[in-house]
Amino acid sequence: MRRALVVIIVIVIAGLMLLGRIYYALDPASSAAFPRCAFLTLTGYKCPGCGSQRAIHALLNGDVAAAFGYNAMLFISVPWVALCLFAETQRVRNPRLYARLHPSILIWLFLALILAWWLLRNIFNW
Amino acid sequence: MQYWINHRGVQSGPVELDALKEMGLTSAAYVWHEGLSDWVKITQLPELQGLYEMVNDTPAPQQATTATAQAQPQGGNEPAVMGQPYQPQQQSNNQSQQQYAQPQTPDEPCPPTNLVWAILATVLCCIPFGIVGIIYANKVSKCYLAGDIIGAKKASETSAWWCIAAIVVGVVWRPLSMSFMGIG
Repeated sequence: MRRALVVIIVIVIAGLMLLGRIYYALDPASSAAFPRCAFLTLTGYKCPGCGSQRAIHALLNGDVAAAFGYNAMLFISVPWVALCLFAETQRVRNPRLYARLHPSILIWLFLALILAWWLLRNIFNW
Repeated sequence: MQYWINHRGVQSGPVELDALKEMGLTSAAYVWHEGLSDWVKITQLPELQGLYEMVNDTPAPQQATTATAQAQPQGGNEPAVMGQPYQPQQQSNNQSQQQYAQPQTPDEPCPPTNLVWAILATVLCCIPFGIVGIIYANKVSKCYLAGDIIGAKKASETSAWWCIAAIVVGVVWRPLSMSFMGIG
């Protein structure tokens, strides 16, 4: 069990580093190696994740302002992701804390933020 | 197999069988593992015979004894109420099942909410399936805190499937997108 977990974590970290290297070196805005958003292609509207590849590229190159401009939602979700990852470590040992770390209010708030972001970015072309 | 143990009011686990042997348990201990509908006395599990010391466990709280005595017929006949015995103890609004919420029973682990994956899928995968995953992630913790483990497990699976769908579509889309768009 423990060993398998360590192996998985190592593989994931290696994968992330490789991905990071690719996203650092190539600019998704000008390179053909990156997929275009399926939702945008099919509907003509941006999805909540549009621009996240360019945002990650900008972020890895230290351009925080540009990253924010490409996809502000990416930043808004960082605290949530951090909270969830912490909760994940507590799942077996501390199940009630785990469930409490996902309170409905927070999740609904996040959902509302995403939906608002989705709508507004298509209206104002963010 | 992993066991959760409640010995004289102290909860521990999950532990493997080997570790359980070393714990110096007595026949007063309660044990739960996946597949059991409720905590059972350690003496009731054939695979654990001889791994504990026999003691006279009269001081066991009355509630616990009642619950254990009723657990078997209940769990066997009515799978629909199987989630009930795990009710977190704070849930006190449930009629006759209340006696299962013994003060010293630990909680059943909460099924994964998959909220992280749902959020990441939404923000990164370019197909809004992740949003459905978020809605179901919410349902997981809501059901769990209400003591509805079955419902929480179902919602957990549903949210996982939506996240997987979002990721698979995102990955499959990659070559497709390049073949007829050309530009990223």
